[in-house]
Amino acid sequence: MPKSPADLAGELVELPPSAISLVIKDETYFDAIRGVVDIFASKKDLNTIYISAAIPSQSIIDVLNILEVKMDNIFFVDCISHIMMGSTKRHPNVFMVESPTMLENIMLKAEYLIKKAEGKPTVILLDSINALAIHNSAKILSEFIHIIINNMRAKNAYIVIFSIEGFTSDEIGNMMSFVCDLNISMEDGGDD
Amino acid sequence: MASDDDKSATIPVDRERCVTGIEGLDNILNGGIPRGNTILFTGSCGTGKTTLSLEFLVHGAIAGENCLFVSVTETSDKLMNNVIPYDFFDESLIKKGTLVFVDMPVIYERLGMTEMELSLEDVDSIVKAIGNLVDELKIKRLVLDSVTSVCYRLKTEEKIREFILKIGKTLSDRGCTSMLISEISPSAERYSLYGVEEAIADGIVLMGNLERRGDLLRTLQVVKMRGTNHSRAKYVLDLTPAGILLVPLLKGGSGGGTT
Repeated sequence: MPKSPADLAGELVELPPSAISLVIKDETYFDAIRGVVDIFASKKDLNTIYISAAIPSQSIIDVLNILEVKMDNIFFVDCISHIMMGSTKRHPNVFMVESPTMLENIMLKAEYLIKKAEGKPTVILLDSINALAIHNSAKILSEFIHIIINNMRAKNAYIVIFSIEGFTSDEIGNMMSFVCDLNISMEDGGDD
Repeated sequence: MASDDDKSATIPVDRERCVTGIEGLDNILNGGIPRGNTILFTGSCGTGKTTLSLEFLVHGAIAGENCLFVSVTETSDKLMNNVIPYDFFDESLIKKGTLVFVDMPVIYERLGMTEMELSLEDVDSIVKAIGNLVDELKIKRLVLDSVTSVCYRLKTEEKIREFILKIGKTLSDRGCTSMLISEISPSAERYSLYGVEEAIADGIVLMGNLERRGDLLRTLQVVKMRGTNHSRAKYVLDLTPAGILLVPLLKGGSGGGTT
């Protein structure tokens, strides 16, 4: 039986800081985001760093605002809005990376936000491996994921990497299975 | 079979470190710059040389070491206006005299150096003046920004060599760890404009702009550092209000030249 996003997020925070590959369905994408962000940031009071490569941070913020999710603990590393040459409207919790190809700068912004949190427990939500795969080769993406996971582990932070069911190549899927501590599918609720 | 004496000859003595306070750089250098070293920080414009050197001084001042920034290219007032407002910066460091800024044109003026081209005697006077400042203010960290601008007024290789050698020795003798900022053109295939500075410095840190598929990344690479083992890999850096942050350059991408 499929798990609800809230059940899933509740389960994740019971784990020690880990790297989790979270497979979500395209049609429940926003529900999954809302559930995970709300539980981590609001209910568990974790410093939440949301790396948005799939859709602009403003779209996520709009959803969270509608649901009255408090934004105090939620910071965005937005690596898609700049290349869209869109609105320059900036939320104070949003940090821009010029392009999703600047993977090092994504790591640097995450590092900065962790440093700013001054030891507060942190979760990184990477949305999504599929969006990053559009802009980066599997080779550099694998290297990025391997480094960021180990970097975050060293800083005692959780990292949850979203992947959209049915849109992940075998190469990326195998790499995710190899580097993540847990692979969780929202559809079947299982892990391995 | 090697005797104990033979073994000790092959193990480098662990020199006292000057912790830069820039976490990534200290990791690259295995704990910091060996104290008393004169380091050439070299790179083209916009690579973060001045920002990095200022952070080095601010961390030193916070740690209680007296620090001196000698500004050659712009006035220190203008410099401070353009510097990133660090979260950890405390203006009282300047008021207390722990962090001191001196404009090189003021030194030239006080020494009566009005000619554009400086002589060998002028070199001695400049080095002596800086040495006196270090003594009087008990300076432990010094930045000269930029050594290229001083060398521009020296003109000949002989005078440049003399200046770098003497300033390096003067500072090192006083236990002062120093950064000499060097400007090179983006296409330069050496580490300094005159080619002399790089041969004499105890360490060379190359800062660059790496273009990769249209993206421009700021990079840092420690090419040489006497007195310590260090990484020679290239790192990507970001200038943030929390200070300079460094992560390894990913190697899976397509190649690109450092400019």
